[in-house]
Amino acid sequence: MTTVPSSLSLNTTTMLPRKLSTLQRQRRWGWFFLSPWLIGFFVFTFVPIVVSLFFSFTNFTLSKPDQIQIIGFANWQKLFADPLAMNALGVTIGFALLSLPVAVGVPILVAALLNSKFLIAKPVFRLLFYLPYMVPAISGIFVWQAFLNGQTGWLNRLLRSFGLNPPNWLQDATWIGPAMVLMSLWGIGNAVLITLATMQGVPQELYDASKVDGANATTAFFKITLPMISPVIFYNLILNTIGLLQFFIVPYVLTEGTGRPNGAAYFFNMHLYKTAFLFQDMGYGATMAWFIFLMALGLTIILFSTSRRWVYYAGGE
Amino acid sequence: MSRKALFILFVALAVALVPALSTVQAQSRTVVTWFVGLGTGTSPDQIDTQNRLVEEFNASQNEIELKINIAASNTAAYDALATLIASGDAPDIVGPVGFVGANSFADAWLDLTPYVEKYGYNLEQFPQSLVDIYRSDAGLVGIPFAVFPALLFYNKDLFDEAELAYPPNQFGAPYVLDGEEMAWDWDTLAKIAAILTVDVNGLTPDDEGFDSGQIRQFGFIQQWSILRAELNTFGGYEFYDASTGKVTIPQHWRDQIAWTHKGLWERHFIPSSTYEGSELFQPSAFASGNVAMARVQLWYTCCIGDLKSNWDLAVVPSYNGQYHVPVDADTFRITRSSKNPDAAFKVLEYLLGDAAGPLLQVYGGYPARPDLQGPATETRAAAFPSVTDWSIVPASLEYAAAPGHESDFPNFAKGMQRFGDFRTLLYGDTGKEIDLEAEINKLEADLQAIVDEVK
Repeated sequence: MTTVPSSLSLNTTTMLPRKLSTLQRQRRWGWFFLSPWLIGFFVFTFVPIVVSLFFSFTNFTLSKPDQIQIIGFANWQKLFADPLAMNALGVTIGFALLSLPVAVGVPILVAALLNSKFLIAKPVFRLLFYLPYMVPAISGIFVWQAFLNGQTGWLNRLLRSFGLNPPNWLQDATWIGPAMVLMSLWGIGNAVLITLATMQGVPQELYDASKVDGANATTAFFKITLPMISPVIFYNLILNTIGLLQFFIVPYVLTEGTGRPNGAAYFFNMHLYKTAFLFQDMGYGATMAWFIFLMALGLTIILFSTSRRWVYYAGGE
Repeated sequence: MSRKALFILFVALAVALVPALSTVQAQSRTVVTWFVGLGTGTSPDQIDTQNRLVEEFNASQNEIELKINIAASNTAAYDALATLIASGDAPDIVGPVGFVGANSFADAWLDLTPYVEKYGYNLEQFPQSLVDIYRSDAGLVGIPFAVFPALLFYNKDLFDEAELAYPPNQFGAPYVLDGEEMAWDWDTLAKIAAILTVDVNGLTPDDEGFDSGQIRQFGFIQQWSILRAELNTFGGYEFYDASTGKVTIPQHWRDQIAWTHKGLWERHFIPSSTYEGSELFQPSAFASGNVAMARVQLWYTCCIGDLKSNWDLAVVPSYNGQYHVPVDADTFRITRSSKNPDAAFKVLEYLLGDAAGPLLQVYGGYPARPDLQGPATETRAAAFPSVTDWSIVPASLEYAAAPGHESDFPNFAKGMQRFGDFRTLLYGDTGKEIDLEAEINKLEADLQAIVDEVK
């Protein structure tokens, strides 16, 4: 490295480029390597989000982009007066209430079973529970559609062989919700793995100490395991709550976009999709998208505010 | 950033620009984009033929470069085209597209009249009535290409097994049941469809102990249908009166719905949605060999599958002594936002001209061009030797239900969705217990509200 004489250096400080510190250079390179993602996020996510908010105050129609007009809050007023939207919201909330306990609870139960010292061939079971998660959603839905068909579906054939009179799962307004909950069990593989990994990380000393204090397995599960994995339960709860508000692909494919029977599977996002893309009313569609976003945001804030009471962070928040 | 880093960045940019520059060179020809998917055109054999024809066109001249954009499916095509239009990147040509697809993009189509005149395209080869169906407030938005009349596909084996006479393939001919001649109408079809419906125990709906929950063979289906086409089998009707703004569901449509409801839930010769979605109907209802008769458009010959040797065509039954044949009509359209309408019209001439024969063959369409009708019939006769008389196709066109089941009305996409919802209600288990008149009245009221939305 060449050393610049101090006298020269003093005389030419305004002429030479300022020498960057290592930290500054690293920071610049950091921004440089981050820039593809940042540019991508700005162009393909941030700008569309802002534009969609703007659209929600317009009458923007996809096939007539040149006729766009600002219409104030008309779309928002229309939303609360739209019986289809309100019915779809009711279906979405109803299904979330039915599905959420299953989506959060079943992974805990399965993880607890997989964590049991009495279970043999654990890797095989782990694989079996995770495999359905790898099946593409659309393929999975078609498989379930055939499985749950009221006439020739395997489930009903099985139930009939026991002398039962099974429901027409996909055509009965009462049963299509439980049918979709059943289908959603195929998607628990990831939650099971995360929960299992967290369970395996619970310190053994806690269980040993509880034994000394006379706790049985059930008490240890509720008093030690559940509190220790509560951050993961909370994580699953948040993801599932948001996911259920966005529930779309399963009912759309399963009912061929109809939301049958009698609108029992007509979810809010199906109404949003049809409005925005089928009827090309992008302004109203954007309004619905923002409405469901605000709802998800509100629920997330509420859940976070309750988390202080029941989520245990070993290292503090 | 150091000079070295800037140099590396510059080289990277230069490398990235090389393909872009070569693309610019290749684009010295006028690029015309052709969007496929709103109608037929997305099945593998159709894709192969379309791609081949594009290559042939591009190799034939050096002024225009034709680029094809085929949607993943018919459903995806609507989103894809809407997005292309909204983003200012609309294709130049869209098709084949029927009226349902085209009406879903109202005001998107170019008036072809100036180009027909400029390039001297011969419209006189078509019947005037056929040209007129493409005239709208926007002008001439299409040139006749393919027509698909509805026909009654029937499975000869199932008729032979039940020892029933085949349905007639001539308009006006009677049907003979138990030695008695009767009019070939929807009531007669219902009678024989019930005979051809068989449950798991081999019983028909008229037998005691018939199990409607385990039917293994059905008499009749309106296959891959939309409600308005089914309604039009009892006669077309302009349900929206533009002069008064009033929506009316006429009596003959109410009769058709009642006929269907009876066939579905009382006589059980029409499969419900549950059966339609069951393994019984793989690969499709009629092609499964488990349905005796299917009312479906001519394009179904694309997908007849393994039933090539034992089916035939009959005429659609009459209602009140009149035949009403729903007819689909597809063509290629040029978008209003096309940046190169002249080049697009040249491509259109190619698609309707040299490419028309192979395209019609893979689309299963009957040619609108009279000079292609003879060869098309010969091709079909060779491909489907079990069909007795292909003259049934042009004959059916003479009984086209008017106005067509795809005719336009205000707020078209939403209104069609409402018709679809009604069909879902009727064919699903929900249809069993509905108050039919009340639901039809609700349909009428909802349609009125839908058209009023855009007034």
